[in-house]
Formats: sequence, structure tokens, C-alpha cells
Amino acid sequence: MTRPVQIIRPPSFSLWAMGEHLTRLVQCRDLLYTLTLHRISVRYKQSVLGYFWAVLNPVLLLAIYTIIFSRLVNVPTHGVPYAIFAFSALLPWTFFSSGLSGATIGLPAHLNLMSKVYFPREILPLSYVLAAFLDFLIASVVLAALMLYYGFRLTTSALWVIPAMLTLAVFLTGVALFTSALQARFRDIGVAMPLLLQLWMFATPVVYARASVPQGLRHLYDLNPLVAIVETFRGALLNGASPDRLLLAECLAISILVAVVSYAWFKHLEATLIDVI
Amino acid sequence: MFDIEFRNVSKRYARRTLDPPEEPQRSRWKNLFRCREHKSDFWALRDISFHVERGEALGIIGHNGAGKSTIVKLLSRITAPTAGEIRISGRLSSLIEVSSGFHEELTGRENVYLSGVTFGMSRKEVFAKLPGILEFSGIGDFIDVPVKRYSSGMWLRLGFSIAAHLNPDILLLDEVLAVGDVPFQWKCLDHIQQLRKSGRTIVFISHDLAAVERLCDRALLLSHGRLVCEGRPQEVTLEYQRSTSLVSEPPVRARGLSRKIECTRFSCEAPNRTDGSPVRPGEPMIVRVDYIAHETMADVVFNVYLYWPSGYLCTQLTTGVAGTLVAKGSGRVEFYCPVVGLRPGIFLVDVAAERYPEVIDWRHRCATLRVDEGPVVLGDIHMPHEHSILTGSGESVREPEMILLDP
Repeated sequence: MTRPVQIIRPPSFSLWAMGEHLTRLVQCRDLLYTLTLHRISVRYKQSVLGYFWAVLNPVLLLAIYTIIFSRLVNVPTHGVPYAIFAFSALLPWTFFSSGLSGATIGLPAHLNLMSKVYFPREILPLSYVLAAFLDFLIASVVLAALMLYYGFRLTTSALWVIPAMLTLAVFLTGVALFTSALQARFRDIGVAMPLLLQLWMFATPVVYARASVPQGLRHLYDLNPLVAIVETFRGALLNGASPDRLLLAECLAISILVAVVSYAWFKHLEATLIDVI
Repeated sequence: MFDIEFRNVSKRYARRTLDPPEEPQRSRWKNLFRCREHKSDFWALRDISFHVERGEALGIIGHNGAGKSTIVKLLSRITAPTAGEIRISGRLSSLIEVSSGFHEELTGRENVYLSGVTFGMSRKEVFAKLPGILEFSGIGDFIDVPVKRYSSGMWLRLGFSIAAHLNPDILLLDEVLAVGDVPFQWKCLDHIQQLRKSGRTIVFISHDLAAVERLCDRALLLSHGRLVCEGRPQEVTLEYQRSTSLVSEPPVRARGLSRKIECTRFSCEAPNRTDGSPVRPGEPMIVRVDYIAHETMADVVFNVYLYWPSGYLCTQLTTGVAGTLVAKGSGRVEFYCPVVGLRPGIFLVDVAAERYPEVIDWRHRCATLRVDEGPVVLGDIHMPHEHSILTGSGESVREPEMILLDP
């Protein structure tokens, strides 16, 4: 019987060890799976409505937005009912924001566990990302119901939601790894996060359309990767439109770059994370 | 064949200390935005090299802050070394800390899954081992109750039961033997012995010198991050005991003590042995406490308290409740025990000067007392006794007088 031999050395920064890290992560997939499930089941423990909250939350939020932005302020939606206009963008946005805010506080929240046993630490932020994705899937049911109600028909371009969500997931993972490692050392990140997310949401066409942004600002505006993702998602479902492929590809490239660099950085910090947390 | 190898391992921590809250000479504005932290380096381990062979049980002992926990952290990969290299061959897991990863809102069963996979099992493995874990823990119906409703004992027992089923190649024991009630402790010890017999490699980190001697083949002594000595457990614990016999450690209960009399030194000697070896059960012992009296005091009582390694008071040497007059200046109290009644092992020592109800000086756990293997005995204490064997019948054996209740 051969035993696995581990060699522990002082940490060093390297992009090339990525393969090794990923293999290790795959070996620990059961932990990621279990933590993700618990993330969700813990959230609704000792609540009367339980999993129903996963649906109730977005619906209530949607009701508020609809009242504010279609009754009080008249946001142009180009003929699409406001409720479905907003919800089709809220869905990917909520995945992003709840994944990011969860993952950011993920490491300090598990200090106890981290100081007792080793596992790839990225599993903690990743489990929040995955849990947010499960919430996204549950809330999608509401979107489907809304689409049925308003009589929207899906076309083949609806398949564009898949690359859009993939890009979003990669981007979210990258940002989440970055903020969670930063939060471990500087708690300022977690404190600033709600404000940051609020700003980010208004810099993303969630409650309004990208077409409403003045032409002169577009260039700057489109630097936000979420613009292309949310627009693609909404356009593909509601208008049967094909996305701006160049923009989406650019966005994917940026996301991959962000994810790779912040993963390498995270792994570099990971080895002595517990000393500074 | 080495299972664990440390090669010139060092670990440095950046010790961050916060400034005191206000510095009056600075403006308030500066106080708000200044950098609040000072960094200074602290070497928890310095150039440590050792190895553990396959199937060996290694004990690591040392004072608080000697670097024991750092070794545990490095071995379990919780943190990385600053320099050097560690090689571990095989699956390593530590035996006790499992329950600290529990999530209070989850049920026992859910936590078994969570902890199981955290410590490296697959979900399938956990499922297969679940009945065994439940039985070992003795938790019963509580398994489907959120663990926040558990008593602390149940919490620990469930944790230990998971750990016991991890089935590692190398077992890391870090101050484990204080879990649960006595029957459960026996269960744990039994389990460890079984693992030992099955050829597992064990690293045992403890303050309990007696347990180290019982369990280990070899021991290391650490002091201030350096390896001081290495060898047979008996020799190493003796060395450890020598290094502590001087009263130097800052006392825990220093606050409120007047210290008009200071206890400065504790020593212990077996007068019938010239080689300076430790005392043995059934033989005489002399215990000395040196003191400095800063003023003359009446009714002073000197006490030496001996504790079991578990922390329970075992016995006491005292100059008597009434107390004596102590003149200003330095002096020595000598206790003579004609027959040592302690069983072999290591005892923790407190030395105190008191004037009831006031405590003048109290040196908490300032030394250890070692009692070597002697001619005796099983059980907790040695009762001095003599015996004679009477043979034959008739007049040489006197029948005890019987009291008959009914005529």
C-alpha cells in the first residue's frame, strides 16, 4: 500500500501550481457539496416558512421595485411589463450580490473550523457562491411563472443565458476569492460591502435599461462586466435577442483573468491565512 | 521508514500589538487615523528537526509557549512554516478537535456528515460508518436534535466518536484525555491503545507527563521553540521536571498577594539515594521550600500542595494549622516524610505561605514532583505496611475473637 506523501514548505506565489490546487479541490468536492447544502438548510432552520423564503424574498423585492420604478418613477422599458423587466435582471444580480456578500464574510465566520483542520480554504467562499446559485435556480421558477403569465415565448436565443450565467459565475468566483481573502486581514471590506453592492447595482442595468444610459457614458459604463451579462440575460429571455457577442466575449476574458489571478493570490495567502485572520 | 519528518523547520509569527487607546500628546485627529498596530517578530519554532518512525508513538512535552501547539498546527497544515520542510507520509488526523467544527443549528446527524467530510472522508464513507459512530458516542435519539441543544459532554462525545472513525495512518493527540465522564475516558484510552497495537503512528502532545510515559516510545522536550532533548520518555520527562524545579514561573494568583514572605525555591530529595535520582514509593523523602521574609510575622503556615496530573489535589504537606513565628530574613522549611505514599508518576506542585485566611504568597504549579517506579503497587496510594505469614495450625494461629450476638 502506498501512502500519499505531503511535503509542506513555506508558501510561495505561483500561477503554475494551479493544476495541483484544482486537483486537490476536486478531491474535496464532497466537502464543497455538503457545506453548500448546509449553507442553505441552516439559513431556514427554525423559521416557519422555511424554503418558501427562497421564493418569497425575490417576489417581495420585485413588488417593491415595481411600485417604485413603474408607478412613482416611470422607467422606460420599451414595452416590456416592468415586473418581468426588472425580475429578469434581478435574478442574475441577486446571484452575484448574495454570493459576493456571503463569500466575503465566509472565512472569518469559520475561524473555528479553520484553526482545527486543513481543507482547501477556497471551499468556504465557493460554497457561498454555489448556495447563491441554488437560490438563483429556485427563484428562476418565479421568473418562469411570470413569463407564462405575461405570455412570453422562448426562442432558441434563450440559450444565451447559459454563457451569460457561466461568465457571471466565473466573474463572481474571482471577485469573491479576492474579497474573502482581503476580508480575512482587513475587516473594512465586509463593512463597506453593502454600500459597494448598492453602488454596483445602480451601475448595472437592473432597474433600468442600458439604452437609458447616455451615449457619451457608454464606454465607461460597459467596463462593468455585469452590464453585458445582465443585458444578455434579459435580452435573450424577453426579446429573443442575440447578445453583443464581442462584448460578452470580452467580458468572459476579463472574468477568466480575474478568477485566475485572484485564485493564485488566494492560494498564496491561504497557507498562513490563519495567522493573520 | 519515516512517517513524519521535520527538517530545520522554523515558524515566525508577526506579533501584532495594539497601541493603548489614547496618547494624550497626540491630537485627537492623529489618534483616529494612526496605524494602531505594532509588529514585532516572534519565533514560535526555531530550527526544529526530528522524525517519527512508522508505528512509533512520539510524545512532545514542554512548557506553555514552548512551541507544542505550533507543531500541531504545522502537522495538520493549518499554517505553513516560515522556513524548512515537513514531510508527512499517510493520512494524518487529530483525534479530538472534531467537535469544534460543529454548526449549532444543524442536527447531530448533519454535523456528522459535515465534520466527516471536513476531516477527509467521502459522504459514502460517512454513511457507511454512521451506525458505528452513533453507537460509540452513546448519543441515542439525540442524533436528530440540533447540537445547540446538546450538553457539552454530548457535544464532545459525538466529536470524539467521529474522530475515532476517521481511520488515519498517523494520529495526532493533543491534550485529549479530558473528554467526557470517566467511562467515556476509558473508552477513549482503550481506543488509543487499540490504534497503537494496530501499528498506527502516534504523535502525542501533552502536559500530562505520566500519560506520555505510559503511551509513548520516545519523547521530545521543547523549550522556547527549540528542541532541548530527545530520548526515552522517562529520561525526557525527568529533564523536564529538572527544568521546572526552580520557582521561576510567574504565579497565576499574583494579584492581591502581599508577598511579605516570598517562596523562592522548591526542591525535593530522596535522602537514601546518593545519585540524585527521584524518590520512590515506600522510601523517605525530604522536601525543602526556601523563602525570604521581608518582615517578621506570626502565625505563618507553609503549605506544599501536590496535585495529580489531572489537576485534582492529591495531598498536602503543611507546617500545621496553628502557624509559627517567622523572623525577618531568608530561611528554609524542610519537610521530612519517612515513607512516601504516592504512587509512581508526576505530580504538580503549588507552594504557599499563608496566614489564615490571608494568602501571603502562592506559587501556582511552580514545580513537578516525580515519583519513580518502586517495589509497589497497584492503585492510587501506597499504604506503608508490614506483613507476616502464619503457617500451621493450633496455638501459633490465634483465632480472632468472635462476638456472638445470640447466645
